[in-house]
Amino acid sequence: MSVTEKSLQEKQAWEPLIVAFCCNWCSYAGGDLAGTSRMPYPANIRVIRVPCSSRVNPMMVLRAFQRGADGVLVAGCHPGDCHYTSGNYYTRRRMSVFRRLLEYTGIEPERFQVTWISGSEGAKFAQVMNRVTEEVRALGPNRKLRDAR
Amino acid sequence: MKKLKKEKLTELWSLLAERTSLYLPVDEGGSVNFLPWEKGMEVDLDALNSTIPPKSIFFQQTEVYLQYTTEEDGLKFEEITPQGPAVLFGVRPCDLKGIQLLDNVFLQEPEDSLYKQRRLETTIVALTCTKPDSSCFCTLFDIDPGAAPGADLLATDLGEEFVFTAQSEKGESLLEAIATLLEDAEADSKAVEEVRRQAKAAVPTHGLDVEGLKEKLDSMFDDPIWGTFYRRCLGCGTCTYLCPTCHCFDIQDHTRGEEGLRFRCWDSCMFGEFTLMASGHNPRPTQKERVRNRFLHKLNYYPKNFESYACVGCGRCVRKCPVNLDMIEVIKALGGVTSGSC
Amino acid sequence: MKPTVDKLKEIAAETLVGKKAELILGWQKGSFWWQSFPAFIEKQEELDSLTWDPFCVANLSIYLLEELKRKKKVALFVKGCDALAINRLLQDKCIEREQVLLYGLPCKGMADRAKIEAAVGEELSIREVRRDGDEFIVLTDNGEQHLDASNYLLDKCLSCRYPNPIVYDQLLAQEIDTFPVKERFQSVVKLENSTFEERYLYWSGHFNRCLRCFACRNVCPACNCRECIFDQNEPRWLGKANILSENQFCHLIRAYHVAGRCIDCGECQRVCPMDIPLQELNRKLIKDLNELYGDYDAGTDPEEPQPLGTFKLDDPASFSES
Ligand code: SF4
Ligand code: SF4
Ligand code: SF4
Ligand code: SF4
Repeated sequence: MSVTEKSLQEKQAWEPLIVAFCCNWCSYAGGDLAGTSRMPYPANIRVIRVPCSSRVNPMMVLRAFQRGADGVLVAGCHPGDCHYTSGNYYTRRRMSVFRRLLEYTGIEPERFQVTWISGSEGAKFAQVMNRVTEEVRALGPNRKLRDAR
Repeated sequence: MKKLKKEKLTELWSLLAERTSLYLPVDEGGSVNFLPWEKGMEVDLDALNSTIPPKSIFFQQTEVYLQYTTEEDGLKFEEITPQGPAVLFGVRPCDLKGIQLLDNVFLQEPEDSLYKQRRLETTIVALTCTKPDSSCFCTLFDIDPGAAPGADLLATDLGEEFVFTAQSEKGESLLEAIATLLEDAEADSKAVEEVRRQAKAAVPTHGLDVEGLKEKLDSMFDDPIWGTFYRRCLGCGTCTYLCPTCHCFDIQDHTRGEEGLRFRCWDSCMFGEFTLMASGHNPRPTQKERVRNRFLHKLNYYPKNFESYACVGCGRCVRKCPVNLDMIEVIKALGGVTSGSC
Repeated sequence: MKPTVDKLKEIAAETLVGKKAELILGWQKGSFWWQSFPAFIEKQEELDSLTWDPFCVANLSIYLLEELKRKKKVALFVKGCDALAINRLLQDKCIEREQVLLYGLPCKGMADRAKIEAAVGEELSIREVRRDGDEFIVLTDNGEQHLDASNYLLDKCLSCRYPNPIVYDQLLAQEIDTFPVKERFQSVVKLENSTFEERYLYWSGHFNRCLRCFACRNVCPACNCRECIFDQNEPRWLGKANILSENQFCHLIRAYHVAGRCIDCGECQRVCPMDIPLQELNRKLIKDLNELYGDYDAGTDPEEPQPLGTFKLDDPASFSES
């Protein structure tokens, strides 16, 4: 098999892997609702439940990329709705600058996304997961941050 | 003796790179390091010492030496393919000595097979110095910047050309392989001698003297002096990673599901974690013990084992330690001085 | 009037005699003209080693955490950037103001050894470099050379915004006029305007060269965690292999961990043995924090909360919030 053939085949076989950190109180519940309402979202998403979006630190994001994620999503309650009152306000600041830092070192912003999904937004959950999957699919596999060993 | 006109250097690189891997001192934008040569790279044979010493070619900063998969009937190991023959061109006499000091460690029983193979397969072309700088002090350790015993080939810069002297079979065969580019240089032997002699005279002495220092240190383990100068140490790895004779390493596994690899990587006695034990106990609890270890290792422990100080006076720690806790300062503080200052 | 070595020695002597502090942190000369390194002075007879010259660049405040474990009070000399570092430590409640006695030194910038060597040529012949007004006077074996100091400063001093210490107990000389500085975000903007691929190549090239010696972290007045995440081994967040992926992890996290706390002193980049432009990472974060959450100058006010430790209800985000 020639190299181009092989890479073409790889590309066709490749499915993006997305790690979604979802806060327990809103976004995870939103996912549950999407599930019980039978709203389809892609199997590319691997949900990791966290107590609050502000529990996610940039090291977790980078570790996901190192270990093979093609995209990472952090999802929390809408501002004002945080179960712990203010966690997501910190998330907003932290992840905003971190996202720009990644961009600055050459990582496309679509690879790392942040969003707010409430427990009643099952439809939004499904829609965001679809969108993120397609945006990452368009970018192709993550080679830049991956630990290729 | 053979010589090569400098304008033929690029031809030489191409010729050598066809046969083997070729490592040359390359300017990476300010800092010069030994890199596998590719066309278009800026080779700098005037730079004195590379920032990272050429020990990194033989004792790599990170080296996988075991690869395995877990299968039903147990672990299955994969062979690590050695890199094959190489030429390392432009090693300064102090750095060559550094490699020889590492040989003492890695080639003693039990031999380090990957290191050994690389050593055997690599032809080292040493380059005598023409312009030692103020932080050089190789002569303190009886290293002659105009000679490099043990190198396969010795090169000397005569301004317009390099003169080569073969010092081993590997050196001879390298000269044969590039014979088409060379001219005879027997007539230049006087000039070569002169350049090599001048190099030695140009190395500053700094008023240092290490005669008897090793013996003196035998009884200095608990000396209060160790409680003084360590205080400014940042505990970084600059001095150890850049030192051509430092050779400490760590071994770690990297496992992914059923697969894994085991690698060796540089470690530094200046890091707290270096001596941290699984129990949580750390026999070198503060920077004081760590600094003491670095200098006693160079000036006392290693000499006890191998009859040679483990510093080659390359000056890297002098140039790069952010707080000037370097070998010259420490030898002075330990009393290894005869006269004057720098 | 510029501060003189004699003035430093005099004040240090007073401090010791009057038992105002148990330890004085200053600088002393090394074997070479370009070496002035941290000095730890506790006894009268050590006073004479004190120096103050264009190479006293080391920030002494980074030793406080360790020394204050054993000492009740430490006196130290602080230049403009060092004073910002003191505020940094105060802000994180790493030290108490009463534990330190600060002698302020207005600073016209420190000399760059390499620039001077390049100008003088014969580096082996240089014996001493000192400042006289706006000049560096270079004493060599072959005589004296006068250099316009502004051309031979460390890069980091070229964009110094606080040459006068903003926190001190006693100022040892008159404040100097601030000098025109180089716009500090220039190279950040240039990088921002390049393509993703260009930026990736630029940074991965630098990250690949990193030795992981941690000089940048250890010298940093904003890196004051008791145990750095990079040193933790249970779990081991940062793998020890020197490969691009781990090095990227190391650099992005180092820069991020000082976001909103970095005083822009440039020490990290100065000590990096591999000349990695760490300031361009730190300054990217400073610039973004300023743009998104309002101007903030770390180290100027120890009472003000740092930008990543606070929030406003109507903060903007760099991602879509709808
Ligand atoms: S001696 Fe210097 S280079 Fe070595 S660990 Fe200490 S500060 Fe770093
Ligand atoms: S101790 Fe310093 S001068 Fe000696 S070999 Fe090592 S780096 Fe070079
Ligand atoms: S410039 Fe560097 S050393 Fe200084 S505070 Fe910022 S990160 Fe730390
Ligand atoms: S000082 Fe430079 S080489 Fe050392 S860890 Fe920091 S960036 Fe890497």
